[in-house]
Amino acid sequence: MLWYKSWLETRWRFLIGLALLLCSAGAMVLTYPRLQALLSHIPEPQLGGALGERVREAIELSREYRGFVWAQGFSQNLAQLGTLFAVLLGTGGLLSGGAALFTLSLPATRRDLLRVRAAAGLAEWLLLALVPSLLISLMSPVIGESYGVVTALAHGLCLFVAGAVFFSLAMLLSTLFTDVWRPLLTAIAIAAFLALLEQLAPRDGGWGIYRVMSGESYFRSGAMPWAGLAASAAASVALLYAAAVNLERRDF
Amino acid sequence: MADPLVIETSDLRKRYGAAEALRGLALAVPKGSIFGFLGRNGAGKTTTIKILLGMAHASGGDARVFGLPAGSPAAGVEIRRRTGFAGEEKDLYDYMTVAEIVRFTAAFYPRWRRDLEQRYRRAFDLPADRKVKALSRGMRTKLALLLALSRGAELLVLDEPTSGLDPAASEEVLQALVSHVGSEEMTVFFSSHQIADVEQIADRIAIVDRGRTVVAGSLDDMRASYRRIQFVFAGDAPEMTFRAPGVVRTHRQGRVWSVLASGGADAIVEEARALHPVSVDVMPVALKDIFLETVAAED
Amino acid sequence: MLFRPNPSLGVPIYLQLMEQVKHAIETGALQPGDQLPGIRPLAEELVINPNTVAKAYRELEHEGVVELRHGAGAFVAGNARARKVADSLRAGQATVAAAIARLRARGLTDDEIRRLFEAELEGRRNTGGRNG
Repeated sequence: MLWYKSWLETRWRFLIGLALLLCSAGAMVLTYPRLQALLSHIPEPQLGGALGERVREAIELSREYRGFVWAQGFSQNLAQLGTLFAVLLGTGGLLSGGAALFTLSLPATRRDLLRVRAAAGLAEWLLLALVPSLLISLMSPVIGESYGVVTALAHGLCLFVAGAVFFSLAMLLSTLFTDVWRPLLTAIAIAAFLALLEQLAPRDGGWGIYRVMSGESYFRSGAMPWAGLAASAAASVALLYAAAVNLERRDF
Repeated sequence: MADPLVIETSDLRKRYGAAEALRGLALAVPKGSIFGFLGRNGAGKTTTIKILLGMAHASGGDARVFGLPAGSPAAGVEIRRRTGFAGEEKDLYDYMTVAEIVRFTAAFYPRWRRDLEQRYRRAFDLPADRKVKALSRGMRTKLALLLALSRGAELLVLDEPTSGLDPAASEEVLQALVSHVGSEEMTVFFSSHQIADVEQIADRIAIVDRGRTVVAGSLDDMRASYRRIQFVFAGDAPEMTFRAPGVVRTHRQGRVWSVLASGGADAIVEEARALHPVSVDVMPVALKDIFLETVAAED
Repeated sequence: MLFRPNPSLGVPIYLQLMEQVKHAIETGALQPGDQLPGIRPLAEELVINPNTVAKAYRELEHEGVVELRHGAGAFVAGNARARKVADSLRAGQATVAAAIARLRARGLTDDEIRRLFEAELEGRRNTGGRNG
């Protein structure tokens, strides 16, 4: 029944997130022909600097469908919107959810409570990551392009594993603050900060969570970013463990 | 032939930062009793209850329920499996309906009593499809109580079960509690500000003040031994310190000496006779007066 | 027939119940052989602790006023003891009525008379009749 309760508590976030991500993915596919026509009139831009380099690359990639989906979708729209909803799904919980004493009077350990919330939330996040990705595959024929299901799932998986870190971060923050807003805004701030760092960092240097999220190495060379995925998974586990420890030592 | 103790605490301590909520609280609740837990706001009643049920962690001392340590997470699950709880705030899941939250709670208790659930659904007149957030305070209290009573639990822990209820609803609640103890092998532990309710149904009580137990025992024993003794003297009442034990409070005003004794009234009367009072009145004391006199005045 | 005890009187509830039963026997509302209400139903009706009802019944049995038949309930003792209790109470009532009449004649108010009785009873109870 804890699963049912988690569902009741997060269903609107999940459904709205699913709707928005599906719309984003769908709109992206449908606008591609327009964009392609537009770009054919634009020569290669001459822009300097690291940022300029990125913009130039995005434009170049977008001339071709697969590149477009990666640059617009998995690197940008789906990643940003997805991260937001991963955080939203991880917020809430015992401290801010209300009726904490009632829940704590049930014969379940705090670890159980957290475990079920985390599992339910991650299951929802998995759907949010995979279903819009699959939609891209499904809808591509509509505009006369094709996008492989395996490719879509691979990118969806990267989105899921990397995004799970932000989900877990939100869950940890939710065990530190008693309201909904501070964990939410703090997690978003951290996500934005990491994004900024990655933008400013040198192109090929180091590891970035958003690179894992977009499945960049898979896009460029067909190799899944296993190291990055493993590190992300480990980070998620560590954050959730910290959340459990925090929840246990808390007085209600 | 001692009753096993369902709840037992010794030297229970709890501090929140610099503030000491509990300073060595002792409790002994025998099985099958209805135990009233009295104290002013902030005396430590809710803190104690939270510690017993694993919602808060004690800073020191020992707390046991069913003989199990209240502080251990694993034991805590076992304790809560056998305990029905209703908190002071009666907070429940706003977004669930009455039927949903009953079904939700029932899923956790293999010994859930459908018969009691039906009985109280009817008696408390709770509409199945109404969302919890649309219930009045009184109905929420009754729902919280139904959820606690139907668990098939051996122990009921209730924080202010009748607060906010009108007298008729309050009486329904008391009747449900009394009926529970009568038919099941149950113990009820409840904290309350309604001293009249406690006097009506409790057989044992504890009064807690500033984190410590100041009075504890069987209500009937207290009714038999607590006395208010009033001495009137011809002139101004003299200064006197009593050697006899059992003097709780004394109050001197003009020609009158008033003594609240927790026992041994006759010894006190004997001692005071040496001062030749003009009249001696020995009267029984209501629980409310015992409470007011043993609990410290505002600091 | 049995009405609610007053919990705030300072008199144990079980004693109040016992008095009520004895009074009922004395007035004939309860006859020897009659069954008393069950412990649980009575507790529920009066909204008092079942342990209290049980204690009252036990004490009544101890005094011989009532018989507890295992599994069947409590019955008014069908022997001379119950009648004797009823008779003693009736005689006692006459004594008290006379005493009160005399004290009123002396000009004492009812409150003063009540306090005299209570103080005297307390004295007896605490000292086992030393003042007697």
